[in-house]
Amino acid sequence: MENLEKKLIVRNLKISFRTQGGKVQAIRDISFDLNKGETLALVGESGSGKSVTNRAIIGILAGNAIVESGEIIYDGQDLLKVEEEEFHKIRGDRIAMIFQDPMSSLNPIMRVGKQLTEAMLLKGKASQKNARRDFNRRLAGLNKYMDLALGEGSKEKNAQLCRTFDNFCISSTKMESAYNTAHEKIEEILSDIDELLFLIEKNQQIDIKARIKSIENDSKGVYADFLVKKDSELPNLITSLTQAVSAMKGKKVAVPADSSIERDLRKVKELLEETLQGETPNFFCLGYYVMKNPDADVTSMPVHDLNKMVHDYLATDFMDEFIDTAAKGVAKSYEIAIQGRREALEEIEEALRYFRGDTLNRAEAAKFEGKLRAAVAKSIDEIAMRKDSSAYTFDTSFRYALDIYFNGERKNPKEQARFDRQNAKHKALIERGKVPDWKVVPAAIVDLDDAKDNICHILENLRDEFKASIDRVGSRDNLAIANEQVDWLKERASAVVFKMTKRLAKIRAIKLLEEVGIPEPAIRYRQYPFEFSGGMRQRIVIAIALAADPDILICDEPTTALDVTIQSQILELINKIKEKRKLSVIFITHDLGVVANMADRIAVMYAGKIVEYGTADDVFYDPRHPYTWALLSSMPDLDTKEKLEAIPGTPPNMIYPPKGDAFAARNRYALEIDFEEAPPMFKVSDSHYASTWLLHPKAPKVNPPKIVTERVERMKRREVGKNDGEQ
Amino acid sequence: MTENNNDREVLLSVQHLQQYFKMGHQTLKAVDDINFDVYRGEVFGLVGESGCGKTTTGRSIIRLYNITGGSVYFKGQRICAGVNTYKEAIAEAKKDCSRRIAELGDKADPARVAELKAEYDAIIKAQKAEIESAKNDQKNCNKIYARREVERIKGEYEAAVSKKGADTALLAKKYKEDIRLAKKDRVMNKMQMIFQDPIASLDPRMTVREIVSEGLVIRGIRDKKYIDEQVYKVLDLVGLVPEHAGRYPHEFSGGQRQRIGIARAIILNPELIIADEPISALDVSIQAQVINLLNDLRNRLGLTILFIAHDLSVVKYFSDRIAVMYFGKFVELASSDELFAHPLHPYTKSLLSAIPLPDPKSERMRQRLIYNPLAEHDYSVDQPSMREVAPNHFVRCNDAEFEKYRKILADGGE
Repeated sequence: MENLEKKLIVRNLKISFRTQGGKVQAIRDISFDLNKGETLALVGESGSGKSVTNRAIIGILAGNAIVESGEIIYDGQDLLKVEEEEFHKIRGDRIAMIFQDPMSSLNPIMRVGKQLTEAMLLKGKASQKNARRDFNRRLAGLNKYMDLALGEGSKEKNAQLCRTFDNFCISSTKMESAYNTAHEKIEEILSDIDELLFLIEKNQQIDIKARIKSIENDSKGVYADFLVKKDSELPNLITSLTQAVSAMKGKKVAVPADSSIERDLRKVKELLEETLQGETPNFFCLGYYVMKNPDADVTSMPVHDLNKMVHDYLATDFMDEFIDTAAKGVAKSYEIAIQGRREALEEIEEALRYFRGDTLNRAEAAKFEGKLRAAVAKSIDEIAMRKDSSAYTFDTSFRYALDIYFNGERKNPKEQARFDRQNAKHKALIERGKVPDWKVVPAAIVDLDDAKDNICHILENLRDEFKASIDRVGSRDNLAIANEQVDWLKERASAVVFKMTKRLAKIRAIKLLEEVGIPEPAIRYRQYPFEFSGGMRQRIVIAIALAADPDILICDEPTTALDVTIQSQILELINKIKEKRKLSVIFITHDLGVVANMADRIAVMYAGKIVEYGTADDVFYDPRHPYTWALLSSMPDLDTKEKLEAIPGTPPNMIYPPKGDAFAARNRYALEIDFEEAPPMFKVSDSHYASTWLLHPKAPKVNPPKIVTERVERMKRREVGKNDGEQ
Repeated sequence: MTENNNDREVLLSVQHLQQYFKMGHQTLKAVDDINFDVYRGEVFGLVGESGCGKTTTGRSIIRLYNITGGSVYFKGQRICAGVNTYKEAIAEAKKDCSRRIAELGDKADPARVAELKAEYDAIIKAQKAEIESAKNDQKNCNKIYARREVERIKGEYEAAVSKKGADTALLAKKYKEDIRLAKKDRVMNKMQMIFQDPIASLDPRMTVREIVSEGLVIRGIRDKKYIDEQVYKVLDLVGLVPEHAGRYPHEFSGGQRQRIGIARAIILNPELIIADEPISALDVSIQAQVINLLNDLRNRLGLTILFIAHDLSVVKYFSDRIAVMYFGKFVELASSDELFAHPLHPYTKSLLSAIPLPDPKSERMRQRLIYNPLAEHDYSVDQPSMREVAPNHFVRCNDAEFEKYRKILADGGE
């Protein structure tokens, strides 16, 4: 439960749009959460509310949208209540989005390169500052609780420990970053050489001068400690290469195989590959060693021995003690928080009793709010690795819920009166035989019961969370958490050291362009969007989204406009980057075929609700909701021969959402109750839920359409066949 | 499809089609020398990645572009003709001629030189005649078609009049009307296109009735009642109701708009429909509706469809034969079952390996093959061409590859 970090929690989200015709209920109570490093696919027809959900997450809902209730919790804050100014720090930086239409999501009068580096440069400045601030805060927090845990006497010593850690952590990260830059350069040269050798082998016409020139330029950056030494053979090889090339005539020439150029290239390749095979030094430990012994010659030792030596040195000299103290500090802070929670629980229970009552009073409620806020503030573990989202967002979401209730209470009678008045006028006009040229604006009445439920819901959530965390007290490994803290600090330190310059941003952007599969990125970098084809433009949009290194990536039908080859390339790319950067991805699509590859979990949406929810295997091999069946059977696969089963009709008008199950009217398997009452979520397995009355124990047994069952059969058979083949 | 293709009527025949675009001083060879026949009643699928020239092929066939070289025959009549190949032949002949004269040396026999010149002049003249005829066909194909139609109607009329007890007055009236229409008739009426984007391809300021009937009006039909009848008939065919005729395109959903596009295409009773990615811009559930509709129409009206798409599973489901295009050239052409069962060309294999399937387990294990022409083929000596590896299975390959592919097929696939 604890090992899966929840990146994003969407709870009871309800969004509607104010339009001339009335209130369009786009999203009607959906809840889901997104774990770190997983892909969640939202599948459904257009108009099912997938895009609205994601626009809400990224804070770009249209102006006429009303968030009726719910919360979207990310990193300890509720995104629905974040101010626009504050949202700038999240949007694009932490949560990025790939839009559906590459035509309209690029700026036509800006070069692609500038659009790509814009985010990096903007973020670069802020991120260094932020990282330093985070680093300092966390270290100061640790220091504070170390003092609390060990008493006044050890104050001096704790401060000394933290200062030392600060110093060598930053300096060792600097060393590491220099090493990594050179390492990257070497890899770049190697890939260039590989390509060149391939072309030579194939006897192609190549612009050899430019290529050698770029290798020469790159080679200037590869010299570093523990990698290529300045006195190695490399400079000679490079000079001999440039000389050989400068003697050649013509722009594009075919280089004969087994020429001096080819031989030199192979030598360079060997040399560089050899250096890459060496072990990477443990810079974190090395930094400490160098700080303590500034005169020691570390570069001449074999890296393996060096690593062992510095590791032991650090452990005995500093780290064991630091971790030990930190663990005590962490334990203390947790203890204080748990104590706060125990006390808060009583307050919550009392408040719940009041809010469940029939009449609420503004002044009384405000009193409760104040008390609860104070209690919850005390129960927050300041240096916890994972922010306890309910406690953090309690403040804003509770006030918001109260506001909705009391504003509704105040405004509802007026609104009703206005509506009645207007309605009467309208009717009177019609009775007199006139045709009024205006419509009655529908009454926007807040459902007070709903609003009150919402308040209680927030409190119950908080109570359950607190109770759960109190129950977990025994099973905490403080040492492991202290280690995690150190890792986190290390990671922050690298952000502190890293400085984004325009040059670096350009190099990164070009690399990114190459990564997303755009040929000749250096030339493309300087072009305008109109010079790219649709697929290429989509890749640029993806590159821009990835440029800022986000936490969560939202893909809104990124491949719908692309053809198969590019589509699979882009999907692979997103998958690869997801693995590499531990991204969480929300993938919106109407094509179930696409998500089989991508998704860990799938949520099928219809008419603003999630109708089925499960892992990819659940949804594809054991679909339960008729709408999922319909989606699956309406697309052909390679073995389909029979007539496709299209879904009849169109999605319902969400101004007047149908009573009962919204899909009932288009559903061949609809039961009578479907037209009466909306089905709840039935549990199929621990990970699989579906909202259809067919899962009710009393429901008649219904088999999915043949096309679906046959496909599942086929897939299973294929699976078995494959396994047999392997054995 | 094991039946012999030779027995069937060729509706559309594309020969050595070339479509070049000038880009500054470069020439972009969007379509480069492709050949194929489309038989009556079949669905011919054209697949390839974006930018490979499949849409250009479709548009060239329907004369939205003037083609650079080659010819397109529709029902045996040449409707598009390009002159590039002939021009090239003339240039080649001229070069050959001067080379051979130079070879003879300064002291050549003047008679021999004259003979050579005459020989090449004949070639050039023949090519020039070809150019003339191509230009003529290109320009006058509609007139030629109309003349034929008029003759056909005249023949029919005379046959009807000569029958005993025929109502000559009525026949004469009908004949007059028919002749008027036939004189205006164009061969392109028998060939219609369905466009990719149902939103952009419908005029937002025209009602559905106007959009659908536009073809009839342009054809010269003035009878309002007849037009309305026809419009309601095709609307019914594509699954819309007559009430829809008075509405504007924005009042329809995506799938319905695509239906309007289809209705517009079929109202002139075409024999060939060029469907240029008709379902790419639609939702999955609506895609199924449109595919079912096209399938239905094909069976009811006996349409021949040139189906251009990049979604391979749909193409597989819908087409009889499939051609795979890569950078303006066909690389493989076979019946759809054959192509998916025994893909031979590495590009086809790479395309097939990229199809997403609704099966998570196999998807996770999927290995996408990457096609790199340089690494796959060695065409430095032996140039490739389209060859028939198995009956009705053509692959672009050279001699060595030809042998390899045959061997693969003989071994029974992979």
